[in-house]
Amino acid sequence: MTDIEVVRGEIQPWTDYTSYRKPAGGDALLAFLTDALPAKAARALVAGPHSHELIRLVAARSEHVTVLIRSVSDATDLREAFPGSEVTVIAGALDGLANGPYDLVIAADGLDRVLGYDSPALNWPQRAALVTGLAGPDALVLIGVENEFGLAGLYDRRPVDARHGDDEWRPLHDDPERPTSPDQVLAALPVARLYASFDAAGETHTLLDAAAAAATRPGRPGARLALEGLAATAAHTPLVAPINTGADAAARAGLLGAVAPGWLAVLGPAGATHTAYTATHSLDLGDAGWTVGDRVVPDTVSAETELFRLAAAEDVPGFRAFAARVDDFPLDDLYPAADGFARGITEAPEGASREELVAASWFRFRDRLIAAHRRHPWPPWMVDSDDLVTTWLGMSGVEATPELLARGRELAEAFAPAEAEVPDVATALADTDEDKKRIKELTGKVFGLERTLRFRDQSLKTREAQLRKFRDELRQYRNSPVLKLHDTAKKVAKIRHPKQFARAVKKKLKG
Amino acid sequence: MHHHNHYYGLTHILARHCGLDDEFPPRIPGYLQHGWNVGCGWNPVHEFFDGAWRFVWSDAPRRRGHALSRRNYAVTGAPMLYLMDLEPDLGKVKESEREGTLWFLFHGWDAPGGLGAKIEGDHARLISEIKETETEPVTISLYYTEYERADVRRAYEEAGFEVICFGKRGWNYEGTDRKFLYKQLAAFRRFKRVASNRLATAIFYGVAAGCEPAVYGDAMALEGDNPLFGGQSRIARLWPDMLGKDIDLATARAITDDELGKDWMMSPAEMRSLFDWNHHD
Repeated sequence: MTDIEVVRGEIQPWTDYTSYRKPAGGDALLAFLTDALPAKAARALVAGPHSHELIRLVAARSEHVTVLIRSVSDATDLREAFPGSEVTVIAGALDGLANGPYDLVIAADGLDRVLGYDSPALNWPQRAALVTGLAGPDALVLIGVENEFGLAGLYDRRPVDARHGDDEWRPLHDDPERPTSPDQVLAALPVARLYASFDAAGETHTLLDAAAAAATRPGRPGARLALEGLAATAAHTPLVAPINTGADAAARAGLLGAVAPGWLAVLGPAGATHTAYTATHSLDLGDAGWTVGDRVVPDTVSAETELFRLAAAEDVPGFRAFAARVDDFPLDDLYPAADGFARGITEAPEGASREELVAASWFRFRDRLIAAHRRHPWPPWMVDSDDLVTTWLGMSGVEATPELLARGRELAEAFAPAEAEVPDVATALADTDEDKKRIKELTGKVFGLERTLRFRDQSLKTREAQLRKFRDELRQYRNSPVLKLHDTAKKVAKIRHPKQFARAVKKKLKG
Repeated sequence: MHHHNHYYGLTHILARHCGLDDEFPPRIPGYLQHGWNVGCGWNPVHEFFDGAWRFVWSDAPRRRGHALSRRNYAVTGAPMLYLMDLEPDLGKVKESEREGTLWFLFHGWDAPGGLGAKIEGDHARLISEIKETETEPVTISLYYTEYERADVRRAYEEAGFEVICFGKRGWNYEGTDRKFLYKQLAAFRRFKRVASNRLATAIFYGVAAGCEPAVYGDAMALEGDNPLFGGQSRIARLWPDMLGKDIDLATARAITDDELGKDWMMSPAEMRSLFDWNHHD
């Protein structure tokens, strides 16, 4: 094992590997690199913090790889992980490295963690120039670009001076030269392909071709990819408001590519790449829709979005008709195709029956409808119990047994995202308002019930008065001369037959 | 929740639809629309408690109510439509045997404590117009508020019409004729035409039961009528196809389906959930 090399600008003590932001990596990025990298590059450079898996992949696809890390301790750790001679680990800053040209340069982590505190105050274009300057004429260069106009950033409730930990010994993000839109990235770099990059605290969750992200609309598979990616980013950001509201608006505006948390710029010749990458799938968008493996998913609006719209319009007949078609899971990844639906990339739970999948779909739909405070026409007692899911299941032609409801809930919960540690401010306020409204409504309900009781009391009083009146009338009737005459006549009638009368008297005396 | 819900036995019908006791029906957690309405489903000054749910026949009252800052609407379809399903044969005769016109006079209302309002208009002129228009026997249906006004009832009887009354809608859960709509439905199903001097609930019921509609004659005035929702002129603007002596039946049926909320009718299970009529542990 050789030691690490050190060039100017290294920092210590420091780490970029156990920071609030992980080194660049993740299965989606690895899948992309597997497609994009040349079979065997001669000299490769990985600049900035990248995951071990990524470095391992680059090492496998090159004769030699140099890894430039600004932290000495990170470099030392990396050296231990990659002791072979095919990997050189250099501790230092980008401005201290001058051993190009490379025919593969990877700076997927971006250009914000490549300088040290002793480095000159280089703006973004100057740092980009250093990276591209290390590349040979036909090199493949990959550069991550953080987006200052990203939705998660815009919705970040922290003040700007509290978002970047100890990284900003100089105000790196207060840089007017930094590209903050797809067009500005394309203007700043000779880009061959640009991906909107969605990350979970630095680890790539989804890559979506920026043009495809701009072209998609709410509810379509492309928008779902972007929204899932944004949700992954948002999960690590304390937010002012739920990210989906803004994301839907951005999708309508054709701006999903512009509000991604960042981009991955591909410069130079890459292998054949797909339109989108997730941790589990590679997808291509064509005229027929999205190709996933050997399946085609139509580029239509998801069942969930259609149902959300019908619920918001309080169009229950329309909702009922659409719900009659639901036969799979999950609604947010089912797309109308012919008479039925085509499933997107979500794998259905193994071994679940059709009825269980439909039940899981409706539980998930309810949870997402309510959590987002979406408009709908159903009363709270239906929402709070299983009645709403039972009703929807009925619309789908499935009878809701207690066992089915329990199973559906269980399956849906297995797919639910982890609850945010701290709810966003708007949701917290909306929840509070909802609680206040509920209190007011329940108070009103008590009022209504009391009034009903009052009506019923009045009704009872009326009946009681009628009964008393009847009793009085009966009493008067009993005391009336007519009834007295009737009683006398009855007694007289008894002695009309003397023998019978005598027998009766005799019997009575004996008894 | 509110005694109006028992008017005409409407809650009773819905309870029966749900497979529940229709003699002593369960409580509806809010307000049930009890008549066709050009506004939010209720009269302009109707009071609601906070958080009340409003169960209306069709979507239009929901939209109008929303504009009045009212929320918590649910559309159920008119109870009469459910009754028609529950009683498919009640009063039914062969189409060829249907005859005559069931003519509804726009009615007033009353309530204990001197509440209520009378209608005022030229009955003689209306009678003349009915005689000029109708070619088959006419039966006049008076609501009890007019039926019990001897002067009004006599005017129509003396004109040679049969005069009937379907009963009382009740008040404070008292005096509710829960067979009110049953009787009305049975009647509709033997008449060829339904007519009135105002576009009102009975016309829509009649069309739903297969009658040809007509709306003509002096619309008469109602004491204290609140024109907040636009009154008769708004009706003329919104439903001109439902006014006149010869109305296109197909158009009338389509409008009736809309106004009675035919597409909104729900299964017994769905309605039990909507009214919170399921038992929860």
